[in-house]
Amino acid sequence: MSHVPMRRSTLGGRDTLNSMETPGSEPSAQVVPDTPEPVTPGPDTPESDASRVVSGPVWRFLIEPRWLGWHLFVILAFWGMLWLGDWQFRRAMAGNGLSWAYTFEWPLFAGFGVVFWARTIRDEFRLRRGVDMATGQIGVVAESGPVLPDGIGTRPIERPADDADDAELASYNAYLAKLNAEVKGHNKWRR
Amino acid sequence: MRGAVSGDRLRVYVTGYRVMAYITGVLIIVICFVGLPLQFAAGNGWIDKWLGTVHGYLYIVYVIVAYLLGSKLRLRPMQMIPLLLAGIVPVMTFIVERWMMRKHIEPALAANAASADQQPATR
Repeated sequence: MSHVPMRRSTLGGRDTLNSMETPGSEPSAQVVPDTPEPVTPGPDTPESDASRVVSGPVWRFLIEPRWLGWHLFVILAFWGMLWLGDWQFRRAMAGNGLSWAYTFEWPLFAGFGVVFWARTIRDEFRLRRGVDMATGQIGVVAESGPVLPDGIGTRPIERPADDADDAELASYNAYLAKLNAEVKGHNKWRR
Repeated sequence: MRGAVSGDRLRVYVTGYRVMAYITGVLIIVICFVGLPLQFAAGNGWIDKWLGTVHGYLYIVYVIVAYLLGSKLRLRPMQMIPLLLAGIVPVMTFIVERWMMRKHIEPALAANAASADQQPATR
């Protein structure tokens, strides 16, 4: 298996690099942290970058356009799935015995959707609160690693202090670290 | 603490996800490429009906397992949705499973191994 093209595509799909190259396309991804953050926006960083400096109360991200879009999507998906369940229920009542299975599945999926949505928001709150708290104790957070996405092997040791405020370089370093981790992972996985 | 997933637990999630991905993937292929032709060509809807129901319930398990893995890997919603929907699109589970392995699972496992080597005391 050739690994090189695969990594190229990984680089091409990176949200952070893309948004850096075309400023203004993604309004939320451009704010450069003014503190040396251990958390680097990478390909696996959750929806909103942990490195963002948020002003005002934490919950305010919920009314950002992107999140409003997600709320709308969840509401539509929820009602859509309930409607499908109701449709299957009508079919089941009309004599289609196998529709009974789907009659119960659709509301279940609707429930899943709501649970996933709630968990995503909860994680987002934790992430943002964690970052806010981390301004005082960056080292501790970086070592215990609750904020770091699992896919990124970012280590503060690898980053010189004078480069710490360079978001692009930090992002690239995280990418290199990820490549390094990937290489190690291949050996491990295919052993 | 959430977020600091141990390598072993991650491996359990990965295995569960991969098993369910293969089961639902095979089922949906049989339904679409064997069951549907049989139903429309031969008027025999048996495979569709029963395997469809079985797939429906196994897909619930798939969604749960895939969601657990995806949240451990901190996937964004735009990555999570294709992961969850893969179980109802023929052949898609296999594509998505490969993509997950390459782009998310292997790096995460490697990062876990690396951090375990580096700081054994905290894990």
